[in-house]
Amino acid sequence: MSVVQPIATSAALPCSVYFTDTVQRSGVGGIRGKIVVVHPERKAQRALHRMVGAAGVPVEVASELETAAIDADTIVIVDASLAQSRKPVARAWIAVPGEGLSAAEAPVVASLLAAGCDHVIAHPMPILAEELLATVQKLLRRDVFGLEKYLTWSADVRSYTLDDTRDRDAAVAELAREVVLFGLPDRVSSMVSVIADELLANAIYSAPVDDAGVRHRASMPRDQGRALSGRDVVTLRWATDARYVALEIRDRWGSIDPVACATRLAAAQSTQGGMGLPLAYACCNQLVIGHAPGALTEVVALLDVRFKPTELGRSASFHVFSGDAP
Amino acid sequence: MKTVMSVDGNRITISGRIDDYTHLQVLASKVGSGEVVIDTGEVTFVNSVGMREWIRLIRALRESGRAVRLERVADVLMTQMNLIAELRGAVTISSFHAQYVCPTCGAEAAPLVDATLPPVPCSECGAAMELADFPERYLTIFKG
Repeated sequence: MSVVQPIATSAALPCSVYFTDTVQRSGVGGIRGKIVVVHPERKAQRALHRMVGAAGVPVEVASELETAAIDADTIVIVDASLAQSRKPVARAWIAVPGEGLSAAEAPVVASLLAAGCDHVIAHPMPILAEELLATVQKLLRRDVFGLEKYLTWSADVRSYTLDDTRDRDAAVAELAREVVLFGLPDRVSSMVSVIADELLANAIYSAPVDDAGVRHRASMPRDQGRALSGRDVVTLRWATDARYVALEIRDRWGSIDPVACATRLAAAQSTQGGMGLPLAYACCNQLVIGHAPGALTEVVALLDVRFKPTELGRSASFHVFSGDAP
Repeated sequence: MKTVMSVDGNRITISGRIDDYTHLQVLASKVGSGEVVIDTGEVTFVNSVGMREWIRLIRALRESGRAVRLERVADVLMTQMNLIAELRGAVTISSFHAQYVCPTCGAEAAPLVDATLPPVPCSECGAAMELADFPERYLTIFKG
């Protein structure tokens, strides 16, 4: 059992350091790295520290970026209002909505996406804590793929593999039918259908690239069938644990451009460019892109089914992870 | 269910899916003169390709000088139209379906409402249902 030992905890100090050396030596899978929480409010520092304390690595807190000890192995959790400041190199920057008592404002989320932020959390507690810890653990363990990371152990995961491009409609229809069978409302079934359709279309038509990197299937007529085998295989998995409905769509091309995705989402109301991803983003509460360049793209969309939409953020959270394909 | 479209004078009715297989633009040349009324109350699904078709139809009608009024707009179409800046003020909407939830028994429904988003009685317990989503998801399009 490891104990978190505060070395310096005075709120008067600009930077408080917490140390968990036992965990660092013996943590799961030899986890390395540290977390720095940067927030001007002491109460928020405490709350955020508590949320990520379970990750099992040293956690430091700081009131401002200038006093935070950040290096290339640091995961920085920063108040959304500070996230657009000029930032030193770190392993990851995670923008969070203040103390977590209210959601991030939609314009703030849009500006962070436009700036190419990899991790933007839009929702208040308790979703903030769940999302933040899952994000931190994925980064620390360098284990970034799979919808299971967002669900409780008890969730039953359903899986479909598309053998032909024309299987898309059938897969979406079956998914929608199962969602209703699981007792979820028609509203959720409708949202899930739109998300799955768009993400499957991206995986089938936008992901394949030729040797020159051209997306040569992008303008293929959608009413023509094409067998999906080898690298063209597309899978859809989904599950629910009565907190979230999670959808996961994978292709084997790993050709997605996450920065372009973020900026496209920031300009969601434009009809210039692809509208599929902005539509999927608008229908979910959290969009998570994982990519292993040249090998795998995974998009996970999460819908929170516990709360009314008005109790959540107006915008969805957004995350981009890079890692080795499993 | 695939797309079913019909034209009766200056009235267009669309039901089913608006997706990759739907070609709406042809309707612009078939509809009569004057204000065009479009009923999408039975539309069940709209994806991004279908949304582009929908925008092309609205554009074609407006470029031919006709006013467009939407009746019984399907919830799925209404929320997606509110994401598109180009559609603001481009159409008149007399009624639409919106997601409501009953705070008493938890029932959900998509009744036909107008831009006042009135309270709706729950069909299961009779309590007043509330809009289940942020009002701007339905009302942004009304801001010209």
